[in-house]
Amino acid sequence: MRADMLTSILSELNGTSADIEASAIISTDGLMMAALLPAGMDEDRVGAMSAAMLSLGDRTSNELARGSLEQVLIKGDKGYVLMTGAGGDAVLTVLAKPNAKLGLIFLDVKRAAEAVTKLV
Amino acid sequence: MSNIDFVELTRYAKSFTGLTPDKEALLQQLGPAVVPGLSEVTDKFYATLQQIPKAAVFLEGRVEHLKRTHAKWLESLFTGPYDDQYAQKMYEVGNVHVKVNLPVEFMSGGMTLIQSELLPVLAGACDNDAGRLAAAASAVTSIVGFSLLVMQESYQTGKLAEELEKFLAISGMSRTLFNNLAAAYGK
Repeated sequence: MRADMLTSILSELNGTSADIEASAIISTDGLMMAALLPAGMDEDRVGAMSAAMLSLGDRTSNELARGSLEQVLIKGDKGYVLMTGAGGDAVLTVLAKPNAKLGLIFLDVKRAAEAVTKLV
Repeated sequence: MSNIDFVELTRYAKSFTGLTPDKEALLQQLGPAVVPGLSEVTDKFYATLQQIPKAAVFLEGRVEHLKRTHAKWLESLFTGPYDDQYAQKMYEVGNVHVKVNLPVEFMSGGMTLIQSELLPVLAGACDNDAGRLAAAASAVTSIVGFSLLVMQESYQTGKLAEELEKFLAISGMSRTLFNNLAAAYGK
């Protein structure tokens, strides 16, 4: 039931922008809770890597006096990975195209993360 | 440490160091003649270590206690048994060395010193029989090597665990997350 609701949030998020290629909700321990990923992408790796990056980001933000972590953004030549904390127990990961309009995606992801927070 | 298979580790260490049943029997045969000379080996060993500044630091105020433990272990080399329980003890010794941050080279260096100090004792126990002395020296090399291999195994495991703890503390990652990450890439 909860998984369906989380998947529904992801589905809505992916529909808000053609620049969003995939998204997933992961526990802070790195376990996949819901995912809409391209075929062939390993869910376990996406989950564990996202949670690890968020954890490192959180640490970095604190160590470098940037306050509480909001997002971790990674840019590769084939696109973006955006990780956002959703409550204290989950991570929302979004994969976006290289020419994506990040401002809009940030807003949609923030909304989605708030919706996830209410469920986890 | 509970997930260590000491029977397998013993088999592995014996195969690597050539500690055969014949050598084990010879070590035990030599015991009565060798044991009385072992306290001198221990004394010389610690006297040498105290001359090495880097090693001396680890001995301050503890020499007498360490000597007693060392003498007991040295005697066990000539009494046996050389089984999985012996391996477990050596493994724990390695762990203790990790906990006191003893540099890894101290173990191999120490074993070399001990082997060297044992030779005259063995010569005396073999009544100048060159063949028997060669066999005795070979058996001692095997049991010392066996002990060293097991200690290094625990040292390696202990050091890795220590490094992982540091990494987790620095990165803020939980152990569960690390395990999940490792599992995701271990498929």
